[in-house]
Amino acid sequence: MGDSAASGLEQGEKAKFRLSSTLILLFVLVVMLVVFSSLSRDFYSYQNLSTMLTNIAFSGIVAGTLTLVMISGGLDISIGGNIALTSCLVAFLYDKAGWPSGLAILLGLVLGVAIGAFNGFFITRLDLNPIITTLGTMAITRGLGYVLTKGLSIGIIENITGFISRSAIAKIPVPVILFAIVYVLLAFVLGSSKFGRKIYCIGANPLAAAASGIRIKRVKFLLYLFSGIAGSVSGLILAGQTGVGMPQHGRGMELDVITAVLLGGCSLAGGKGSILGTLMGVLILGVLYNGFTMIGFRWVHISVFQGVLLILVVALYEIRDRQRY
Amino acid sequence: MSDNTVQVKEPRGPSFGSRLGDTFLYGKSMVPALLLLLLLLVAFFGIATPNFFAWTNFKAIISNVPVIAIMAIGMTFVLLIGGLDISVGSILGFTAVNVVLFHNASMPAWLVVICSLVIGLGLGSLNGLIITRVGINPVITTLGMMAFARGLASWFALGFEAIKVGRVFDQKFLLLARQFLPSSEMQIIPITTVYLVVLYAVASLVLRYTAYGRNVFAVGANEYAARLAGINTRRIKFSAYVLSGVMASLAGVILVAQLSLGRDDAGMGSELEVITAVVLGGVSMAGGKGDLIGVIIAVLILGVIRNGMVHIQETFGLSYYWREVVKGLILILAISIDAARIMATKRRQRVRQ
Repeated sequence: MGDSAASGLEQGEKAKFRLSSTLILLFVLVVMLVVFSSLSRDFYSYQNLSTMLTNIAFSGIVAGTLTLVMISGGLDISIGGNIALTSCLVAFLYDKAGWPSGLAILLGLVLGVAIGAFNGFFITRLDLNPIITTLGTMAITRGLGYVLTKGLSIGIIENITGFISRSAIAKIPVPVILFAIVYVLLAFVLGSSKFGRKIYCIGANPLAAAASGIRIKRVKFLLYLFSGIAGSVSGLILAGQTGVGMPQHGRGMELDVITAVLLGGCSLAGGKGSILGTLMGVLILGVLYNGFTMIGFRWVHISVFQGVLLILVVALYEIRDRQRY
Repeated sequence: MSDNTVQVKEPRGPSFGSRLGDTFLYGKSMVPALLLLLLLLVAFFGIATPNFFAWTNFKAIISNVPVIAIMAIGMTFVLLIGGLDISVGSILGFTAVNVVLFHNASMPAWLVVICSLVIGLGLGSLNGLIITRVGINPVITTLGMMAFARGLASWFALGFEAIKVGRVFDQKFLLLARQFLPSSEMQIIPITTVYLVVLYAVASLVLRYTAYGRNVFAVGANEYAARLAGINTRRIKFSAYVLSGVMASLAGVILVAQLSLGRDDAGMGSELEVITAVVLGGVSMAGGKGDLIGVIIAVLILGVIRNGMVHIQETFGLSYYWREVVKGLILILAISIDAARIMATKRRQRVRQ
């Protein structure tokens, strides 16, 4: 698997010993934490840490399920649209239609299931290209968000989404707890369940998977379903955090999430990656963006950097894989 | 669509429906089906809304089409070699910002155009180099380029408050996209339509009658075989991404000249429309199959829908925002048709064996 890696990318030094790539990522994370805390005094304040971790939780939950999708050889870029539509729908039901908040949130989750099922149906039953299909879903969901809110944002004043995103248990923000629970669950599913092994098998060799009796379509369908649900959970968190449902929510976040997952060692070809790796990827990106903001970069500079980073990450893995063979 | 996937030939000879299904599934091009769809749409919008059939509206549709149509040429080449380029919208945006900056540096119109095209050339080459030399998946590469170019556009546009947008443009530059033929009194054919006809004619001829065009198809159909046949597959693939970049920049130049406005969010999301047009036009996602005539009809179809939705809003009060939803649905419909065609071809090949 993608765990063992040739170390010593620096100075073109040939690897004498093999290091786990997760360990390298951990090392990078620690270095970044040290650098940013020395550059900015407020980096370790409770305020900043909780904001940073909440932001990480928001994109991290989606990255977790996307990891499963990508290990199976798929891709889901509709998550941004999903997040937008969920936030709009919940805000609309709560604020305009006067539904009780619990019911509105429940319907938000049902929406996630529906979007996941839509993606899953087209990708597995009609055998469509997942990238283009979810690109279409992104337009549909975001468009429906615009239709629902007439292009404006709808405020959510006080409800359970506020609890989900803005309160804390023992000083730990609730989204972070949610994030931790999701990752433990996903790590268990991927690492020690039969279902997890099926996912790896499908991604590594679909023909072999089919020959050994795995019901590929059903597994993949479930993965897109998970991704849809995670998207709507993130949508709820964002709606609660910002206090509004608006169709521009989550625009461009698929880039962040995909970069994090690729940084964690997944590949577009499938069959590679782990939840621990994705966790590292999500943390590194979260710390990086937060640190950049703290030391005074503006958002436009960071967005230029995002594109470079994505290509750089994949290029490094590509070069490493070439050295190995 | 799915009803047409299995067509059993009846002893009496094929019915009209099954013959239509056959052209749809096995036909070399989708042109007849697309033309029918275009006519149906025009008829629908014409009957449903009072103002659709008007000379000015027809001109509006025609002058809104070029931006997508030009990018579709580049995208067609990219899909033909079996790749994908989702950075075109951002390259367009970056070019649009730069056109303003070039004007601000008081460059003459011809130099602005050349410099703008050089931007597309550069970014397209970067895409091509990363994809063919480093060997990174085209989706990831162009996704990265999408963020990079859009970020640069916003960065460059930071100082825009200082520039009085709209007044900076040179009259000659604006005329590039606003002139009409045969004369300024008789405004019949917009000059952008002339550009389109020339570009599509040249690109079609190149694809159909030159060695380079045949190589493009060969690489997309079977890259390994193409390499064995002595084709420099890397160079062919590289050229497709370069063309896509240049076309995106050209589209950006025309958009700015049409609107006399260069904004950093220009062309945001247009990659979706371009890919939809190209796939709907019968260019296969699998590569190596398709033609530009189908693509231009598909571009017209999307243009008619975009325009028709405005009239629908005027007549029935249906929110204009539905067009985003419709766009996504058409994209999924288009790739479903493509998938059905690929499956049908495979099934037929299996039967022959």
